[in-house]
Amino acid sequence: MLSMTPTARADLLLPGTLAAAWSAFALGVRRNLANWPILAGRAIFYLVAMAVLSALWDKVSSQRLAGTLASALPDGGLTLYIGVTEWITLSVASIHLRLEDDIRLGMLEPHLLRPKSYIVQKVAESLGDTLGRLIGIGAAALVALALSGHKLPPLQAFAYVAVLGPLGAAIGVLIYTNVGLAAFWVRRVLPPYIITQKIWFLLGGLFAPISLYPLWFYRAAVVSPFAASIFMPGNQMIAPSASAFAVELVAQLAWIAALSGLIALIWRAGLRKVLREGV
Amino acid sequence: MGLLATYAANMAIAIRTSLMDRTNFILNSLGMVVNDIFFLILWYMFFAGFRQVGGWGLHDVARLLGLIMMVVAISGVFFGGYRDMAATILRGEIDALLTQPKAILPRLLARESIATAWGDLVMGIWMLVTFADLSWRDIPAVLLGLVCGTTIYVASAVAYASLAFWFAGARSFARDLTDFMLLFSSYPGSIYSGMTKVVAYTLLPAGFIVLTPVAFLRAPSLQSLAIILSAAALYCVLAAAIFHVGMRRYRRGLVATG
Repeated sequence: MLSMTPTARADLLLPGTLAAAWSAFALGVRRNLANWPILAGRAIFYLVAMAVLSALWDKVSSQRLAGTLASALPDGGLTLYIGVTEWITLSVASIHLRLEDDIRLGMLEPHLLRPKSYIVQKVAESLGDTLGRLIGIGAAALVALALSGHKLPPLQAFAYVAVLGPLGAAIGVLIYTNVGLAAFWVRRVLPPYIITQKIWFLLGGLFAPISLYPLWFYRAAVVSPFAASIFMPGNQMIAPSASAFAVELVAQLAWIAALSGLIALIWRAGLRKVLREGV
Repeated sequence: MGLLATYAANMAIAIRTSLMDRTNFILNSLGMVVNDIFFLILWYMFFAGFRQVGGWGLHDVARLLGLIMMVVAISGVFFGGYRDMAATILRGEIDALLTQPKAILPRLLARESIATAWGDLVMGIWMLVTFADLSWRDIPAVLLGLVCGTTIYVASAVAYASLAFWFAGARSFARDLTDFMLLFSSYPGSIYSGMTKVVAYTLLPAGFIVLTPVAFLRAPSLQSLAIILSAAALYCVLAAAIFHVGMRRYRRGLVATG
């Protein structure tokens, strides 16, 4: 540190790091919006996925089999709930692939000589990428909702989801960042990625609210980051509530802090390994 | 050396490479087994709560899942290059193959064997043997379904990856499309109607990959057989044509690589 120039030292200070992260974030948003054909494709497939999942739940609701959970389904069905959970999951950028490439192909080393933190820059860029997707897919979702003639929830539900949705997606980015950092130890991050994704679907309640499942399952799932990521925003569409919103907001912020801390720990451990043993 | 012999030689190298790092191989395979188990739990919990969807129960879905797991497994082990083909194109790695005498597409497909696919293979066989209620007489139909389903799956993945010849951001998108195709292949056939049925039998051909083979298993008929075989041939031709047009762009330097 003694040999470090004053300029480099200043760059490591928090305002400099935040400014660089903000630039990376803005770059992520702009790049995503500039790649509009891909974004349009994602929006189309969001609508297709929604059509399939709505078909699944319409089928279940129309049967109303006695002695099943069909009677516990909300009156308006689960279309709006799934609309939110799918919006979030499809918007999360694939940061794990970028990290895998950089770590496995030895492209990380040049970044280590630079004054800005590689991992902060990558996460910020992916958050920007995610926001671009949230905007594109969200716009498609709102247009489709308006055209569908579906009964709308109260306006405050949309306000709650507008806050909890992006934070939920940020949790998703942080979860996948932790997955991507596994590349320090495993050749491909596909196994941890797909396992994490399925746990996310299961504990997050991607296809059905976790509140429909047995109580023991709900209690275990609701305290996980996966539920904070998608169940909590989605649930506001079924049962909007200001008090629940406040609790969920605190839970999301707590998970963002915890997952960021975990990333810092894994990043340092991974760097130590690379500097000691190479890739 | 014929095309098939070259492919077999490349594939053997790819498989050996995937087996070289034992720890990673075991980790990858076990990871996929765990993933598949989670997927089963997801459906198990669904059917525990809702019992059936349009006549499809847990055992029908287990048959469907067994087939799709086997399709993904065979594709991953023997045509594993499909998975990251868009990235390969965008990184300009085709350059090295342009001056070589053998066809490029098979070389790209045979450049990798995915270790996780072995986990799918184990789980797929286990599902078909234990849950699918199949007899020995069904084996030819299962094999036919697997061959055609794998052909359509790989062909579709190649077509999606070929988007990289036109769009710089196609890597993630091609993967998403492949994942969507898998997603469509994992739902009971009874839920598809109208537009979703059209999509499931065209753009994301889950209908031909597993739904028609499952229907053929239930009630074998010449009509189902003709549909499966025709679809396999059609998707092969389509994928080859899209890749060929893309390669023409690549050769003219119109693809942004690096």
